[in-house]
Amino acid sequence: MIRHFTVLGIAVLAGLAYPHLFPNALTIAISVLLFAGWATSWDILGGWAGQLSLGHAGFVGLGAYFVAIGQSDYGLAPWWAMMLAMIAAAALAFAWGRITFGLRGPYFTLSTIAVAEILRMIAINEGWLTGGATGVFIATLPEPFGIDLFSRVVHFHMALAFSVLTVAIVIIISQSRFGYQLRAVREDESSAMAAGINPVVVKLKAFMLSAALVALGGGIYGIFLSFLEPHILFYLFLSIQIALTAIIGGRGTIWGPSIGALLLIGSGEIFRAAFAQANLLIYGLLILVVILFLPRGIFGEIQRRAVRRRYARSTQG
Amino acid sequence: MSELVPLLQNISNGLLIGGVYALIGVGLTLVFGVMGTINFAHGDFVVLGMYSAVLFNAVFGWDPYISLLIAVPVGVLVGIAVERGILARIADAPPESAMLATLGISLIIGNGLLLTFGGEPKSVQVSYASSTLPIGPVNISIVLLLAGLATVLVILGLYMLLNRTEIGRAIRGTAENRLGAELVGINTKRIHSIVFGIGVSLAMTAGVTLIPMLFATPSATGAIFTLKAFVVTVLGGLGNIGAAIGGGVLLGLVEVLGASYLDAAYRDAYGLIAFLLILLLRPEGLFGSTVKRV
Repeated sequence: MIRHFTVLGIAVLAGLAYPHLFPNALTIAISVLLFAGWATSWDILGGWAGQLSLGHAGFVGLGAYFVAIGQSDYGLAPWWAMMLAMIAAAALAFAWGRITFGLRGPYFTLSTIAVAEILRMIAINEGWLTGGATGVFIATLPEPFGIDLFSRVVHFHMALAFSVLTVAIVIIISQSRFGYQLRAVREDESSAMAAGINPVVVKLKAFMLSAALVALGGGIYGIFLSFLEPHILFYLFLSIQIALTAIIGGRGTIWGPSIGALLLIGSGEIFRAAFAQANLLIYGLLILVVILFLPRGIFGEIQRRAVRRRYARSTQG
Repeated sequence: MSELVPLLQNISNGLLIGGVYALIGVGLTLVFGVMGTINFAHGDFVVLGMYSAVLFNAVFGWDPYISLLIAVPVGVLVGIAVERGILARIADAPPESAMLATLGISLIIGNGLLLTFGGEPKSVQVSYASSTLPIGPVNISIVLLLAGLATVLVILGLYMLLNRTEIGRAIRGTAENRLGAELVGINTKRIHSIVFGIGVSLAMTAGVTLIPMLFATPSATGAIFTLKAFVVTVLGGLGNIGAAIGGGVLLGLVEVLGASYLDAAYRDAYGLIAFLLILLLRPEGLFGSTVKRV
């Protein structure tokens, strides 16, 4: 745990230095950090608890819309809106998990797509609330302690704080009783029950935590975009992107999702240049490579090799 | 009387659209029933079928239904190739891996089509596009009627294949118990390839029947069809072919009636809401048997 927090500390220092070193490449870094945070949060449910969600864009949208509508219609400061969004996301996750977590098989995954799509249709059609298909614009933001929330550097620091928070939470979970419960449920629900774990409750907790964190990131994303379109925020492909980032990086590992974000989003501009709109092609190809050859994901595979080498060395002496 | 006519009109439209949904759903449920894999690329194969009709129309000026002659065998071959090349290699991995692999295939097909055909919607103009057949006070669109007829024929053919042929027996045996089927001498690997091939060609057939009334656009439409196929199969009961037909018809009716008597903007949502209600109240589907609960 100390080792992981040391690495995280170094990452934070590097992150704090970044805006001074590359002041012109902030936008891409903000995307990487947001995706790292989303993928890490997704992984609490998708990797640690083994419940594949393809609807997390719904929570991104929820967070962003709470901030935007709270600000433009009710004059609500973004931090309060983000807290409300986190509560709403957790409540939605609770209700939704109650319906689907009792069932075995692919039902949960299928329902995630349906719920996110319903949220998208609400965002498009309920114009009185959400600005409809054209979207909603954040025109003004408060200035807490004289900080300009429209500044890219501020966005960068918020995204950095968000991704660091999610990784820190996962480091703590990985060592906690809850983390062991999650892994037990992922490996075999019946055995977990035999050990006195209630799989539905464990999965619900993971889902609510994951949803609330993604909504927090969504709120930051809303401030960053300042113009919200339902076609982007609740988009199925955003959900897929979040899930695949975590899986390609390494499911159920502490650093895998962040490494996935660094690789995939960091190089995203290159793919965008090569394939224009078809840039998700690379996700399709990479997920096949990972499924066929690196089933633990990139970081998971590195980790496994390291553990094996250490074990081999320990048995030689 | 004046209220009855639009209702009948809506019901007939719903039934015919539901037929096409059933055709999309049957392929998904067949693959799930035999292989235990949710095929996330299913909708993209539907779109592939639409584009094959567009392509043959643009090059040879064929009617979409003639391009079925090519699309069906090509679909079987593509399906077998995908199964052999990708899914068979991960047969022993957890079922989630196969689902993720098909998700990858879906992204590759959708984005590949986007690169090949560009983002503009494409369609095939047929002379009978807007003709209707009056039956009493109800007008039935020829395009929908043809699609409904195609569905009936295809599903009848599938029924005959599964219940009247040796290979059908082998498929049913594999679906019921893979190890048992293997023990009585069925090559279940071959059956898996064939079933995936049939699934893909069913999806492509559905795409061809849809092209006279819908525009083909890459990437996003694939996901929409996959979602519709999910809804159809879950409404009916996952893995059950007869039930997929019921599920398809039900989805068609729910959408058409919901759109005309409630709010038309939520047309696509009614099916999804019905889907969530089914998950909540009767996860085995309306016509299915038990689902394992934790």
